[in-house]
Amino acid sequence: MNLNPPLVIASGPGGSGEYLRLINPKYVGAYTLKTITLNPKPGNKTKRMENLENYIINSIGLENPGIEYVISNIDKFVLKETKTILSLGGDSKDEYIKIAEKIAPHAKKFEAIEFNFSCPNVKKGGLSILSDLNEWQEILENVRKILPDSFLMAKLSIEGNFVEILSRKVKEFGWNGLTLINCVRGLLIKDGKIVTGGLSGPILKPIALRAIYEVRKVLKDIYIIASGGIYTKKDVDDFLLVGTNAISIGSALFKDPQVVEELGKYLKGVKR
Amino acid sequence: MENTYLTKKDVIQINEDTFIVTFNEKFKFDEGQFIMIQTPSLTRKPFILGTWKGNIAVSVQIKGKGTNYIVFQGEKFKAHFPLGNKFIPPAGKGIVISSPTCITLANLLHEKYSCDVLIGSKSKINFELPFESVIGNEDFSKKIKTLKTYDWYLVSGSKQMEEFVLSNIESKNVFVSLEEYMGCGIGACKSCAVFTKEGVKHVCTDGPIFRRDIL
Repeated sequence: MNLNPPLVIASGPGGSGEYLRLINPKYVGAYTLKTITLNPKPGNKTKRMENLENYIINSIGLENPGIEYVISNIDKFVLKETKTILSLGGDSKDEYIKIAEKIAPHAKKFEAIEFNFSCPNVKKGGLSILSDLNEWQEILENVRKILPDSFLMAKLSIEGNFVEILSRKVKEFGWNGLTLINCVRGLLIKDGKIVTGGLSGPILKPIALRAIYEVRKVLKDIYIIASGGIYTKKDVDDFLLVGTNAISIGSALFKDPQVVEELGKYLKGVKR
Repeated sequence: MENTYLTKKDVIQINEDTFIVTFNEKFKFDEGQFIMIQTPSLTRKPFILGTWKGNIAVSVQIKGKGTNYIVFQGEKFKAHFPLGNKFIPPAGKGIVISSPTCITLANLLHEKYSCDVLIGSKSKINFELPFESVIGNEDFSKKIKTLKTYDWYLVSGSKQMEEFVLSNIESKNVFVSLEEYMGCGIGACKSCAVFTKEGVKHVCTDGPIFRRDIL
């Protein structure tokens, strides 16, 4: 995958291209769409987001219109202004395989297809798909066969197993890249009540750095998109230093969408 | 929708924790639309747009560091706007029932549609409002029960205020300005979902003002 600049809008916060109304697409290497599942999902009940000093906890619950809707409106989902990465998720092995089969005739329209194996905010699927590694490997094997020509990315987090072990499996089954990391399961106490969700924001940066560092030590030639607490040029430098190929902007969009332009310009000038 | 900057002009205290903040900039927006303003917090904050003494203005209730920053510390703010949909009231005489947190919208609608305005405040109002006001739940409840003859009603305030008006005024033309936590304000993040009779809606792109019959 050749992205110029090597800057990606993260799946989730970026929605389905909405930020292109506030961001100059020239600074977006690729835009990853919000995760789509086989069937539509209404998402979790509100309140879905809490914002604290240096982290956000969200519990969106993969709200999305389902793959049939996407296929029926494919021209709306393939962005004209920049390259598009499709993000797909599922509640079971069968769902991952079925969604891959459904998108296969349209796969060439996307720069890459990212499979979300790490959403912490749904009861089934997402992160829990890693609870049975044999089944997960069957997903990797089957999806690779169904989408032989696609640039396949696996979005992993740090839960489920050591990320370098999971990453090796991704490579072993012929996938092309990794997005590291997703939100981590978090919990806060608000007014005496427990609030659970996915942790994001600056607090994720050291966790994401370590994950990429460990993966790069064992996999020299897999494409890695770094995701987790990237807000500044220093963050970009740090992630490049541990072996990142492209950086992903997620929750920083909420603070200032123009950070994409700042970091995109910076990345265009960085020698790698 | 565009990126912009706001520079603070005046700050006027309404009650113990709510302030009108006016800006020097002039720009176009429709009644009911809102703006996302950047603060040191990780997410921008949504404010419904309005006017005050000829200036573009928002009402800010101090809830934390971000709102405190807008009122007391910041002078220039990054923002994006205009967001959400225009509120077009039905024909006839209307009333805006508002907490101080939406007073600038109430003022804008009053100027445009000559509607009445009732401000319901939890605490004493510190300056002379150009609108009728009631202080405290008891007086607010009594007043609402007398408001039966308007052609339309817009309620913009706390959930408690909205629920009270909805349960005491039968008109189908009751509109409610909803508030849910927003991450983006533009329909991307899906954090401001509301579950309605017509399915999942989002306050930022489907609202922020909804008619009672879908809620």
